[in-house]
Amino acid sequence: MINLTGVVKKFDSFTALDGVDIKIEKGTAFGLLGSNGAGKSTILRLLSGIYMQDSGEVLIDGEPAYDNVSAKQKVFFINDETVQFGSFTLRKLKDYYKGFYPNFSEEIFEKMLATVKLPMNKKIDTFSKGMKRQSIVITGLACQTDYLLLDEAFDGLDPTMRIIVKRMLVDAMMDRQLTTIISSHNLKEINEVCDTVALLHQGKVLFNRDLDSVKGNIHKVQAAFPQEYSKEDFTDMELLHFEKNQSILYLIIKGDEDFIRNNLQEKNPLVLDIIPLSLEEIFIYEMEGLGYDFNGLK
Amino acid sequence: MFDIDLQSRIPIYEQLYKKIVELIMKKELNSNDKLPSVRELAKELGVNPNTVSKAFQMLERDKIIYSLAGRGSFVADVKTDFMRNKAFEDFDTAVSEALRVGIKKIELIDRIGGENND
Repeated sequence: MINLTGVVKKFDSFTALDGVDIKIEKGTAFGLLGSNGAGKSTILRLLSGIYMQDSGEVLIDGEPAYDNVSAKQKVFFINDETVQFGSFTLRKLKDYYKGFYPNFSEEIFEKMLATVKLPMNKKIDTFSKGMKRQSIVITGLACQTDYLLLDEAFDGLDPTMRIIVKRMLVDAMMDRQLTTIISSHNLKEINEVCDTVALLHQGKVLFNRDLDSVKGNIHKVQAAFPQEYSKEDFTDMELLHFEKNQSILYLIIKGDEDFIRNNLQEKNPLVLDIIPLSLEEIFIYEMEGLGYDFNGLK
Repeated sequence: MFDIDLQSRIPIYEQLYKKIVELIMKKELNSNDKLPSVRELAKELGVNPNTVSKAFQMLERDKIIYSLAGRGSFVADVKTDFMRNKAFEDFDTAVSEALRVGIKKIELIDRIGGENND
């Protein structure tokens, strides 16, 4: 289990994380969302023991992450910067990481290598961007760590590779309770892969919830009523958005669907449609509801 | 068989639950048929295995499927309460519709009577 408690991290005058509390259970796929600069990468670096927090605790299975070999051996961080080892060949990269990670599996490495067909003896800086990413992905998966951190998980991977990686993640989740933490802008991927998501904004966690409950708890309503209604007529429900276009009302309401339906039926609607929202819409409206003027997650 | 719309706004576990019920209703899955394992289904659909597990747990809770340790999950006996209730619901809908288009109750009763010769 991963526990971040009251974590603050500053870089000179810039506060990257401003009191973050996050708990990540083993065997889950946790999505970190937020705009650039929100603090996602900082969290991943704290978890991989690269940075030390200014205050608060960063614990991996109860142990501090920073400068702690036993914690670091449990975590592999797949990110583009790993390919700082440009002058290494893939063979050397593999051997380098094998030296740090006790559970490294040659078999898994070979199996994945056979699919990507990368040359073992050429310097990585001669590889294309996609090949560089593939190199670190296969190496990372072969290390068989308890925790896998992914910065923009599937960027630079072609569709075939994506499927292979996802399948490997399924096996790892089932066989050894792999915990993945994915920082992404790609809501499609988050939607498919994650159990829980946390939304970060300016160094704070705006929310951290089970993805299905996020989706099930917010609804888009399109309704037409025999009477004119305004925003104030719906104060008995948690209304995040109210829009009127001619005779149709477009509402975003939080809460249980049946409760909402029953409540609205009492107003005798002529038309009543309750539709689930896409993940992107959910975040936009949640942010609006929290009082942020939000331009989207780009 | 298990085509799920990953981009749909409906949670994946809910789609999977409904899909399996649908397959049973359509007899594409029958009593005691083995379902793909959580692992297989997660890989096939490209989704989180916890999501598939969740759907299976709900189906089991509703007695639509059952699991045998080490062997997997299987479609339950279709004569369970859940199936009966679903069949009754469909029946009620069909009867309402029939009455609505002017068919008389007695005609419906005769019809059932006529097909019940075994």
